[in-house]
Amino acid sequence: MSIVLEKRPEREKRPAPITVAVAGNPNSGKTSIFNNLTGSHQQVGNWPGVTVTKKEGQLVMGSTKARIVDLPGIYSLGAYSEDEMVARDYILSGEPDVIIDVVDAGNIERNLYLTTQMLEAGGNIVIALNMLDEARRQNIHIDVRALADRLGIPVVPTVARLQQGMKELVEAVLEDAGQSKPKPFRIYYGELIESELEILEELVKTVPELTARLHPRYVAVKLLEDEDWLHKKIEALNGDTRERLMMAAGDSINRLRKHYGEDLDSALIEQRYSFIADLLKGVVTRSEDKKEKDTFTEVVDRVVLNRYLGIPIFLLVMFGMFQTTFTLGAPLSDMIETFFAWLGGWVAGGISSPLMSSLIVDAVIGGVGSVLVFVPPIFLLFLIISILEDSGYMARAAYIMDRFMQNLGLHGRSFIPLLIGFGCNVPAVMAARSLENKGDRLTTILIAPLMSCAARLPVYVLFVGIFFTAYQGLAVFSLYLLGIVLAIIAAHLFKKFLFRGEEAPFILEIPPYRIPTLKTALLHMWERGSQFLKKAGTIIFAAVVLVWAMSNLPWGVEYASQESLMGMMGSWLAPVFEPLGFGTWQAASALIFGLLAKEIVVGTLAVVYGAGEVGLAAAISSAYTPLSAFSFMVMVLVYSPCVATIAAIRRETDSRGWTAFAIGYSLVLGWVLALTVYQGGKLLGLG
Amino acid sequence: MPKKLSPSMQDYLETILDLSSTDDEVRITDIANRLNISKASTNQAIGGLVKRGMVTHRHYGPVTLTEMGRSEAEKIRYRHDVLKKLLIDVMKVDPEVAEQDACLMEHTISQETLTKLVSFMETYVVGREETEMPEKTYTRLSDLMVGTKAIIKKIVSSGSIKKRILEMGLTVGTTVEVKGVAPMGDPIDVLVKGYHLSLRKKEASLVLVEVV
Repeated sequence: MSIVLEKRPEREKRPAPITVAVAGNPNSGKTSIFNNLTGSHQQVGNWPGVTVTKKEGQLVMGSTKARIVDLPGIYSLGAYSEDEMVARDYILSGEPDVIIDVVDAGNIERNLYLTTQMLEAGGNIVIALNMLDEARRQNIHIDVRALADRLGIPVVPTVARLQQGMKELVEAVLEDAGQSKPKPFRIYYGELIESELEILEELVKTVPELTARLHPRYVAVKLLEDEDWLHKKIEALNGDTRERLMMAAGDSINRLRKHYGEDLDSALIEQRYSFIADLLKGVVTRSEDKKEKDTFTEVVDRVVLNRYLGIPIFLLVMFGMFQTTFTLGAPLSDMIETFFAWLGGWVAGGISSPLMSSLIVDAVIGGVGSVLVFVPPIFLLFLIISILEDSGYMARAAYIMDRFMQNLGLHGRSFIPLLIGFGCNVPAVMAARSLENKGDRLTTILIAPLMSCAARLPVYVLFVGIFFTAYQGLAVFSLYLLGIVLAIIAAHLFKKFLFRGEEAPFILEIPPYRIPTLKTALLHMWERGSQFLKKAGTIIFAAVVLVWAMSNLPWGVEYASQESLMGMMGSWLAPVFEPLGFGTWQAASALIFGLLAKEIVVGTLAVVYGAGEVGLAAAISSAYTPLSAFSFMVMVLVYSPCVATIAAIRRETDSRGWTAFAIGYSLVLGWVLALTVYQGGKLLGLG
Repeated sequence: MPKKLSPSMQDYLETILDLSSTDDEVRITDIANRLNISKASTNQAIGGLVKRGMVTHRHYGPVTLTEMGRSEAEKIRYRHDVLKKLLIDVMKVDPEVAEQDACLMEHTISQETLTKLVSFMETYVVGREETEMPEKTYTRLSDLMVGTKAIIKKIVSSGSIKKRILEMGLTVGTTVEVKGVAPMGDPIDVLVKGYHLSLRKKEASLVLVEVV
């Protein structure tokens, strides 16, 4: 498979003749359609100003050129989440010439809700009636022609998973793009509402700023719904027009309130649904010869979501995910490490100047190596997550774990990122992307580094092996547990003080089980993994070079000795760690190095004590007491995420402030906890 | 109803219902402020309601309505709404006066007169939800047993959560079936418009249904 990722979507350079947006509900097969249309020529970026992924590509079918833009999967054009705002703004922007609306045939009634909203807004729409095979298996029959006639727009039957109907879809899109203006579409909202809409529509027609891109009637409907975005638009108008619009809208709403009370919003939504119900009469028929026969999904779910089996199965799936990632990923990572070590040795042999050789071998090759070591586990993990998502299991995982996560004030979907954190914090932070609510997402990102990742284990193993020989397992376990407890407390505090009132309702579709396609899973994996490589890679690389420079400067010092910049900084910082029980320049340097990746702490200690891995135990047992060793391990657990995680946080939050906060709070928390352990232990006479 | 509640007790119940629809937690102070009554007497009155099993309240903690208390409060509010509607829409009484009078009348009007009034309103005044008795046979979606089918009658919420619930297809008149409960008891799995929707009991409790 050839996957071409260009650096940045640059539209201006080569304007495509037409622009096609792909919209639809989550789980409607939207991504498969997008992948089919664009092949693997996709560009992944972000929508301006938000952390919603934007994907676009070029149409690969036929000779016609078209730009295809993938919109986030949404249920309506409301404004609850960033996803929905992005989609709505784009549809209303008038930029897309045609919108492909992917409709799940097996779930047509709810899927058409979005369709009616887009039609009202005035989009030029072609429906891809997808997964018709699945609908047929559920004994749902759809008269495609009648549907197209009643909606007045083209409807193309497709089975995206099997590439069926793609050619016809492209033809319909190209034909539709030639037509100038979409036919006006209207839903009848009942006499009372209609008469108010008429008044508002007339008024809106006199305001060219509002009708440039939108149907006047759509604006009128949104005035009744009192939508924020429209409000902002009106606020920006000149005084007189603004007053007139606001007055008229207020009057209309008040008159309707007399009749509908607080249920005006519901009346509009219910009218849309009853419009859909009427529309589908005679179009959709369900042959129910075998009455109430359970679907395949329902049969499977009786086991998978079973009261007693649900949680064990969930844990088993998660365990399997970890095992696969780390048993398959670790040897690959080792191979990459070995390769770079060999490459370093080979290059070093060819360079006579020791400084140059060190710069190239330790900094450049070492830097690239430490980025690439992350590739196998991260790509594997994302591959498995994609497969679980596409099969429909992830929605069930959220369903199963939601009750537990509610205790933390979080959403069921937060569980997966946190669990992944035990493997590596980097994909954990990235997996938080599946959370719609900003507060939930930020909380999850901020607490994920408290999950003790695999890289911290070597540090524990070293110290526990020296000081807690009798209770090794217990000592290590206590550190993992400490991380979890801290995460729970931190989640509570963040939700309470930083993200108040941002709790998202848990109203999620549980899609039917589906066989994931390898192509979609691989594209997903590549999309996420390559984003990590691009953004995090540069930061990790820069950090490795920086640390190399600090260990070798000023020129001529012994690598990472007390005379190097690193050693000087260590000596300078040591007093800070004095009250924690490890106020040595060696410990301070190890912690600084540990920022690169926590397992480096072990290697650094070996270097700074001038001992091999064997002599290290002796050096450490004379430098630490059991109490200060535990305090040190607590510090390693909590203090600042590693640079790769910091890079991921920076990328995912798109905010320097939150990144700084993530580093700052964990540094303070780590220091305070280690202090408590050491001083508390001394008071108890353990020192 | 074992014993008839005194008018002032009814006011307390109604106030708690009002406050609990907007605030997360209803406290004695909030109730006292709303009714313009001292905290001490509010405390005493709440004690009375606790004894009757209408509300639960621990020292300094929030006041919450029990199932019985909620249904009683909804009945009282319903009477209030019907009377107010009658005064404003039919008799053209000034809304402010209507509000006050409805407050006084609601405590004394008999069930029989009320029932007659409702049918009168249904016949002569065009109205929707207001003319239905929400508390009579309606259950919360969150209280249904697995396997139960029901028709949605009302969404008792407002703002974006209500909109979200409706947009996902849980509109009035739709048939739903509870298909399962998550292993830890929450959320629930509901079949609506031919697809499976999971929602927390907290959200499901906002959906009033009638079992079929």
